This record gives sequence, structure tokens and C-alpha cells, in this order.
Amino acid sequence: MPVPDAWGGGGGIPVEAWKTLMREGGMGKTSLSDSSVIAATARSGVASDRETTKQASPCEEWNPVEKTIFERRSVRWYKSDQVPEHLVRRILEAGRYAPSAGNSQPWKFIVIRDKTMLEEMERDVQRTCKLFRFFLDFRRPGVMGKIGWVYSQIFIRILPHELHPIPLGAIFLIAEGKLKLFHGAPTVIMILKDKRGVSNPDLDCGICGQNMVLAAHSLGLSTCWIGFVSALMKSYVRFKWLRRLHISYPYELVEGIALGYARGNPNKMVERETHEIAWYENGRRTITY
Amino acid sequence: MSKMSLIERLIIPTYNNEAYAHTGRVTIDPAKCSGCGMCATICPGKAIRIVGHGKDKLAQMEPDFPQCMSCNDCAAICEREAISVSLTYDFGYHFKILDRSTMKPPRSFKEETSGADI
Repeated sequence: MPVPDAWGGGGGIPVEAWKTLMREGGMGKTSLSDSSVIAATARSGVASDRETTKQASPCEEWNPVEKTIFERRSVRWYKSDQVPEHLVRRILEAGRYAPSAGNSQPWKFIVIRDKTMLEEMERDVQRTCKLFRFFLDFRRPGVMGKIGWVYSQIFIRILPHELHPIPLGAIFLIAEGKLKLFHGAPTVIMILKDKRGVSNPDLDCGICGQNMVLAAHSLGLSTCWIGFVSALMKSYVRFKWLRRLHISYPYELVEGIALGYARGNPNKMVERETHEIAWYENGRRTITY
Repeated sequence: MSKMSLIERLIIPTYNNEAYAHTGRVTIDPAKCSGCGMCATICPGKAIRIVGHGKDKLAQMEPDFPQCMSCNDCAAICEREAISVSLTYDFGYHFKILDRSTMKPPRSFKEETSGADI
């Protein structure tokens, strides 16, 4: 029965959560009401059953690129050993060869291996997060919680992507000191976006960054995307860091990638959500996952 | 594909209201968990904590708004496979998760020889 399946895992769904979802009509709006889906599922059983008949997931089946992709995890716990320079150069080469719109390659890299500089950045981001937390923390008891509630209702509507629950929670954790910005990584690669790039330079920087991440994982290193470096650019320390890193028009700091050797063994294949795929073939539309 | 109604697009729920929004959940197998704390160290939302002393240490979800983002980092690092994600997060109407199904490990697909249609 596909309906409970859509909420992950089977076993651990709290009954009250599911009842709420059903009542609010959340589940009724899935693609299962699409008539072609009903036809497809009637013909072939539940979509996931089809895959088990042709599925093969042992690791020996994967080619090296797929293995790197499937085993890659974002790592947030690093050893203090510094990454050798030649490996960083190889990773930057992989970024250099990324595709981009009109071959505009709208990126520049900054590599920071200086521990004092990284710690100073972390401190500045922590201070900025403390300031944001003062206004936005709605969990505190009493009048401060009410202030937090009012400001968060306003700002969440102005900046719904930056203040989504997950980055909002990360802001609070950084402010409390439980989450370090660079997770103790010895090297950080910053990606600068050239604003004059063709079409969508943010997307091209993402493509370049992911090339670098996959190259790093294939070399035995581990990475983590650090989006919070943009907090440096949105805070009162913006001009200090623009001067320090020599960033000026047309460049803008968009993302950081923490790089280092992981502690433990975090790079393993895990389960991931399946997403709906609409398949157009032979004049028909079918839904699969 | 699923559509969101106009009301759903406009309402932003308060994040700590369980009726509209819930964070992810993990299940911990107490028989396998040794309380080593690797999952708690590596959790990006700091949603796991270790309780108990000595041999009885066990991992547990933070009781107070755990910021679990169902990333499975804890499941990947646990050497005893004692922990895994049981519920992916859903932040309600404004951030409704659309068109997703069960969690699966990487699947490889082989060329069809029987020619069966989809």
C-alpha cells in the first residue's frame, strides 16, 4: 500500500503525525490521484516492487565514478592533519574542468590553510549568529521568546530560503557554540562567483564545486559544503573580509568547501529518498520512483 | 506531479508546532548501541545525545526540538549499525515535501532483455 510508504521507512511513523497529515489533506495531494499512476500501479503493482525484480546493489557492480558518488557523505569531523598541496591542486583542476553556461567559467578559488584566519572567520560568524539569534530565537521563555516570534514571523516571510527551519536551527547552534562553521577542517576552498557570468553563474559555481567535491572523495579526502560563509558577507564584518580577501566587483563570495581527512569511517552508502520521476515514452506518461 | 494550493503557499507555520511541522526521527537499537558517541559528534543538527553512565550509555534523540534533518550521517558512521532514520523531516505547508517515496539504498538497473513495458 503506497500511501504510508511515502513518508519514509515504514516502521517509525508516529501515528499522531500521520493522522494529522491525513486530516490536513496533505497526503491526498500526492500523485497517486493522477489517473495514469493508478493505471500504472494497477498494471505493475507498486512502483517500488518493479525495481526489486531488476535491482542489484552490491558494490562490485559500480564503476569508480558511481562508487564515489554513492559513497560520498558530507563530513563534519576532521583530523587535524593538513591536506598535501598537490592534492588540493588536483582538486582545483577538477573544478577548472567543470561545464558552465557558454563556457563562461564564472568562478575563482580562494584556498585558505591558515588556522588563525579560519578561526577568526569562525569567531566573526559566531558573533553575527548571536546577533541574529537575539532577534529570531522564538524558543526562549518569556518576553524574549515573544520578541523572537514577532521578528521571525516578519523575517521568515522576507527571506524564506535563508530562514528555513534548518539554517535557522544552524544559526542558533553556531551562536551557542555547538556547531563550528568549518567543523575543524584544515583547508577551506572558497568559491567566488563572477556576477557577469552567462545566464546563471550561481548554478555554474555549484557545478564546479560538486566536481571538486567528487574529485576530493575519490582521492580519499572528505569535504563538506559550507553555505554559511555567506553570513560573513551579510553581516557587519562584510567590508573587513572583502578587504582581507581582496574581493571586489565583479566577484562575490558564494560558497565554501571544507576539505580534510575524516575521522572514523563516514563515507558509506546509505538510503536516500526516492523522488517522483515522470516518464514520457511511447506517447504515454507514467510515474515511477 | 503534486500541486500546492494557494493557501498552502501562503501559510508559514511556526516551526515548533508539532501539528504542522516535524523534524526527522531516528531509531536507535538499544541492543546494538554501545554509547560511543560518534553519532552525536557527527550529527549536523546536534539532535542526538548520550545518556547514562559507563556500560549503560545509550544514544537518544534530543527531547527538545531536535533538529534532525534525516541525513543519515549517524547511520553511516555507526560501526554497529545501531541507528538509522525512521522519519524524514517535513516542515509543513510552506516547506511541504512533495512527490517523494520511501528511502532506498543505491539501485543499479540492468538492461531489460524481456522487453516488458513500464
